[in-house]
Amino acid sequence: MVICLYIPRFELAVAAGERSSVARQTLAGRALAVAPLIGGEQRVGEVSGAAEACGVARGMVIGEALARCPDLVLVPGDPVLVAGAWERAIQALESIGAAVEPARPGLAYFESDGLRGIHGSVGTTIAAAARVIEHPVRAGAGPTRFCALAAALAVRSRRPLVLDDGEATRWLAGRPVELLGFREDTAALIEPLSRLGVRTLGELKRLGRPALADRFGSTGALAHRLACGEDTPLCTRRVEEGLEESMAVGDANSGEALKRVLGVLVDRLLARPERRGRTLRVATLSARLIAGGGWRERVVFRQAICDPERIWLALSVRLSSLPAPAAVLGLVVERFGPPANEQDALFDEVPGTLVARDARPSARNARLREAVAQMRAIAGQDAALRAVCVDPDSRVPERRVVLAPIPE
Amino acid sequence: MARVLNKPQPARVRLDPARPEGVPAAVNGEAVESLRESWLVEDRWWTPEPLRRRYWELVSKRGRNVVVFHDLGSGHWFAQ
Repeated sequence: MVICLYIPRFELAVAAGERSSVARQTLAGRALAVAPLIGGEQRVGEVSGAAEACGVARGMVIGEALARCPDLVLVPGDPVLVAGAWERAIQALESIGAAVEPARPGLAYFESDGLRGIHGSVGTTIAAAARVIEHPVRAGAGPTRFCALAAALAVRSRRPLVLDDGEATRWLAGRPVELLGFREDTAALIEPLSRLGVRTLGELKRLGRPALADRFGSTGALAHRLACGEDTPLCTRRVEEGLEESMAVGDANSGEALKRVLGVLVDRLLARPERRGRTLRVATLSARLIAGGGWRERVVFRQAICDPERIWLALSVRLSSLPAPAAVLGLVVERFGPPANEQDALFDEVPGTLVARDARPSARNARLREAVAQMRAIAGQDAALRAVCVDPDSRVPERRVVLAPIPE
Repeated sequence: MARVLNKPQPARVRLDPARPEGVPAAVNGEAVESLRESWLVEDRWWTPEPLRRRYWELVSKRGRNVVVFHDLGSGHWFAQ
């Protein structure tokens, strides 16, 4: 059974929650929207219920949003705070034993089957998860990810909705097609489906998979699978320790001075004993801005490195996209590479010959392993696959070759 | 997790009305220039989900080699 936890308007709650209690009281009940980032696309982020009632929706151009709701209050968006709050929520879920798939800030899934021995039934597992998260959550459970999401979105109180295998498909049939908007790969279907007059998942299911595949390609087939209660297995995140350094930058809030602050952060991070000689593969550079709000950028290094100069070079380029002067600069290591202290001999000791290290097969293998790890850090676990002939003489083409993960 | 390669993709096929044996005249809106080969695959007949396909290897007007099959169970067309 998959459990879905949904925290409504998470980004808005985090952005507005950082303000003083007086400001929070002033904002209570008013039409709010997360303001676009400086230098970014001028569209509003998450909106409050009062703003929704005025016709303002997430992703709307700011001019149109203000025209529809002149009293709209724009709260500066803060991706740094949102990421921090979401990471705390995920870690809290992991602390009760859950293997979590974080879909986006405010939406997460985990399997309940492995937790039965610790927490008991699905209901008690959901209760344990809701207790450790600081925010009020809506929870649902179902046989697949999509069923659990539909259940979590359907509840209007703290009481979770649990769908059994048998009733899930029947229950899904009555749900609106707008549920497809919660998945990135099917979100584009909502508009054409509404133009075609398809309102519920049951109506979508009745259209048939070939017809949907014919009209919308693989996205249509995926939407039909979801409407039938089918979905892919959860893709849970790998739990890794993270190292963090941050510094108030004072007057050195932009330009060359800020780059020097970055150099100090890199040196501090590399000097931390928790690093244990490991190289850095993925890091996140973040900043709290003087004008309010934040900025965040994930950097995947071309190879796992621990040379402070190369790390600084790779990161300092990203500082040019900082939208405004910074008040605090932060650097977090998201993923480590292998230790950098493995030192081999320069030449192989083969009697009578000297073979350069780079020409050895083991060196090539090490480079290939590094490349595979690099690709996976950038594009996920499915980024590096190899074709394996399983039945090359089969008369059915799809049985001849499969794509399998390359072992690191 | 392993993934299947060369999975059949649904295809829009228009049949040639002049040929009753069901020869495709257009695949996904692209007209067919010539027919290269056709063969029948019957497999897994001992299972509850038998596989019966009539394959067509075609050359399109633009010179592309196209392989489509007609699933004789469901009646749908797929490109492969």
